Amino acid sequence: MVEDVGGKEAVFCCPGCRNIHALLRSEGLEGFYARRRGWTPGPFSVPPVDPEIFAANARQSGPGGDLEMDIAISGIRCASCVWVIERYLAKKPGVLSARVHYATHRGTVRWDPARTDAGTIAGWIADLGYAPFPGETTEMEESRAREKKDLLLRLGTAAFLSTQIMMITAGLYAGYFQGIEPSTRTLFHVVALFLATPVLFYSGYPFLANTLAAIRRRAPGMDTLVFLGSFSAYAYSVAMIFTGGEVYFDTTAMIITLILLGRYLEASAKGRASETIARLFRLAPVRARRIPPGEGAAPSGQVVPVSAIRAGDIVEVIPGERVPADGVVSEGESEVDESMLSGEARPVDKGPGSRVFTGTVNGNGRLRIEVTGTGRDTALSRIIRAVEEAQARKSPVQGIADRVVGVFVPAILLVSLIALGGRILAGSPAVPAFLASISVLVVACPCALGLATPLAAFLGSTEAQSLGILVKGADVLEKGSKVDTVFLDKTGTLTQGSPRLTDVVGFSLPRREVLEIAASLEASSEHAMANAIRREVPRNEWRDITGFRAYPGMGVEGTAAGKRYLLGRRKFHVSRDVTAAEEQREIARSLAREGKTVAWLSEGRSVSGLLAAEDTLRPESPECVRRLTEKGYTVWMVTGDGEAVSARIAGEAGIVRVLSPLTPPEKAEAVRKARSEGSVLLMVGDGINDAPALIEADVGLAMGRGTDIALESADAVLMNDDLLLVPRFLAISRNTMRIIRQNLFWAFSYNAVAIPLAVAGKLHPIVSAGLMAISSLVVVGNSLRLRRGNS
Amino acid sequence: MWTTILLLFLSIVLGLGAWLLFVWAVKSDQFDDPEGVKHRILDDDE
Repeated sequence: MVEDVGGKEAVFCCPGCRNIHALLRSEGLEGFYARRRGWTPGPFSVPPVDPEIFAANARQSGPGGDLEMDIAISGIRCASCVWVIERYLAKKPGVLSARVHYATHRGTVRWDPARTDAGTIAGWIADLGYAPFPGETTEMEESRAREKKDLLLRLGTAAFLSTQIMMITAGLYAGYFQGIEPSTRTLFHVVALFLATPVLFYSGYPFLANTLAAIRRRAPGMDTLVFLGSFSAYAYSVAMIFTGGEVYFDTTAMIITLILLGRYLEASAKGRASETIARLFRLAPVRARRIPPGEGAAPSGQVVPVSAIRAGDIVEVIPGERVPADGVVSEGESEVDESMLSGEARPVDKGPGSRVFTGTVNGNGRLRIEVTGTGRDTALSRIIRAVEEAQARKSPVQGIADRVVGVFVPAILLVSLIALGGRILAGSPAVPAFLASISVLVVACPCALGLATPLAAFLGSTEAQSLGILVKGADVLEKGSKVDTVFLDKTGTLTQGSPRLTDVVGFSLPRREVLEIAASLEASSEHAMANAIRREVPRNEWRDITGFRAYPGMGVEGTAAGKRYLLGRRKFHVSRDVTAAEEQREIARSLAREGKTVAWLSEGRSVSGLLAAEDTLRPESPECVRRLTEKGYTVWMVTGDGEAVSARIAGEAGIVRVLSPLTPPEKAEAVRKARSEGSVLLMVGDGINDAPALIEADVGLAMGRGTDIALESADAVLMNDDLLLVPRFLAISRNTMRIIRQNLFWAFSYNAVAIPLAVAGKLHPIVSAGLMAISSLVVVGNSLRLRRGNS
Repeated sequence: MWTTILLLFLSIVLGLGAWLLFVWAVKSDQFDDPEGVKHRILDDDE
């Protein structure tokens, strides 16, 4: 809803927000809007719904002739949004069911084609104020969802069967001590066999498949060990049913169940963080307003799909819209928010001849653009491609458990063979020798080994998440523990990304008066500079302004106490014939050289004063740098800004090492160079320009307010933009890695006890089962220490 | 002996029932949106 606030249109999402704004305004607390972090509303506009794209997305649902479609909905912020969309659609005629997933912001709608259609449904969602998009899922997402479901089925099945097997095994143990009828014993053995078979061959099928693949590649891994252990226990037990020995079906089932549990936890932790790529593509607009050649200025063009736009076309971009293609401005002036590309919150002025980029948001002026590149030929898609290529090039990290298993498996096979060969050479009969060698394989229990890493990593990333750090995979914490060098981006990472007023210069007026008049003139403007100025003056000191006029992209004008003032850019004043003395221009130039934005205030034809604002440091930046340095990390600042600005910010943050000015590829190059010199590197950034460096670094950490592509490129995301989470993240990484090492140590201690006993042929099944349970419990208990927030 | 067989049979049938329920739950997407469920319990059904 739109409301007239102080002579200017302001947009609110709901009456509640409007009332709160009025309340804050009456108390002079509008600084709240400048201070608040996280989501900041842009111009409120739901793009017009194009029924055809949705119609193409509909598919048959069941035999009844009903249709359904997947839909992605942008603008969902809380569970109530999900609730209202579902309920609203369900009340509409023809809609059979509507279901929206809270976590993914995607939904499925089913409807009766005789009574409504896809475009209408999308329109209803847009009426509610959410932006619907056709919800095509990428192939990668689909296969990940399928794999996870498959894993869950196998895990669940294994768990159900394992509980049954454990029950029977408990009966067998009791029988061992108290005596048991041979017929009952055989019955129990057969039932356990019957239960264990699906565990091994259905639930354990992925291990079987990977083992066969590993044999072909001659590279044994964790899966080989899992299958070898469970299969030999199974085969040994089948043989024992006939010869009357003890069976190990419980071992078979437990190994597979516990390892699958570890895998499932790992998959859930990974899936949670990887939703952003699909959202990224929504940055690019789907429609454009094309101006037919030779047409005048009046019509605002015909709306065509972006795919129909060619280089050389003229398109119009109205205020608040995203730029549909890369191009050069041919007409009009405006400010364009390029923060998605650069992380820089300050809007960039655009006029005839300026370059504009796909996906950036137009401010308050109309622009006509001559298109130079569309589709894959834009700055945005070039960066996306660079990110994809870098991701493909980055080799997967081999986790510590994999490296350990790579040595462990051949060693176990060797020990098993020695046990066999040694006994035969010592003259013992073939059958007991063979059994001893198999029992080595059985007890080389990978249970604790398989849980050691995933469980600790899962708990570590859960702990991180509760602090607001989203970690994308188990290996991230492992890599994080080895980091010794931290690269911090400047704009938007070390700094706020939004300007604060730094200088007020008075020429014909005292400084305080310059400030007060400027604040009053900017009372209702919403751009970053106006916020910075207004924040400095309490509401009750504002002057009364009459005859107010705003010139988008130029400045504002108004009368205070009978005098007519102009406030805005230099060019605004030049256009009004305001003359500035050379020394005044020199002051403005020197402020601009320091990276500050300068606003001029004038009265009549003479300059009254200057106001300058700049991007300031986050309050926690120096503390973050201090903690990192204290812990022995080498901290660098990397930035695209010039030396003067970067040196000052680095000084304020307490950083000694600065790399500037760097282009995005140079940032990535700097990261590569540092890594080739042996540093293990953490990169913290937020803009698309940081994306290549985030991927190139050992660990990339993105600010949560950062751009989608930065979030996608990063290994972990700081959800609430608090830089102090950087040292916390590193501490959690180190802690998790310490726990993983301890877990592996315990897993090996078990093997160190059990394997010699097995080689000697002295290992009793109850001892083996007991040791196995203890080692698994120790690993679980030790991992749980990560939860107590003692990082 | 027959008591044992009966009890074994019963426990396996019960387990099978629970397993079938679980398979149904996975196949009908009950585990797809674990985040939303905890919010949904607060909704009033009208």
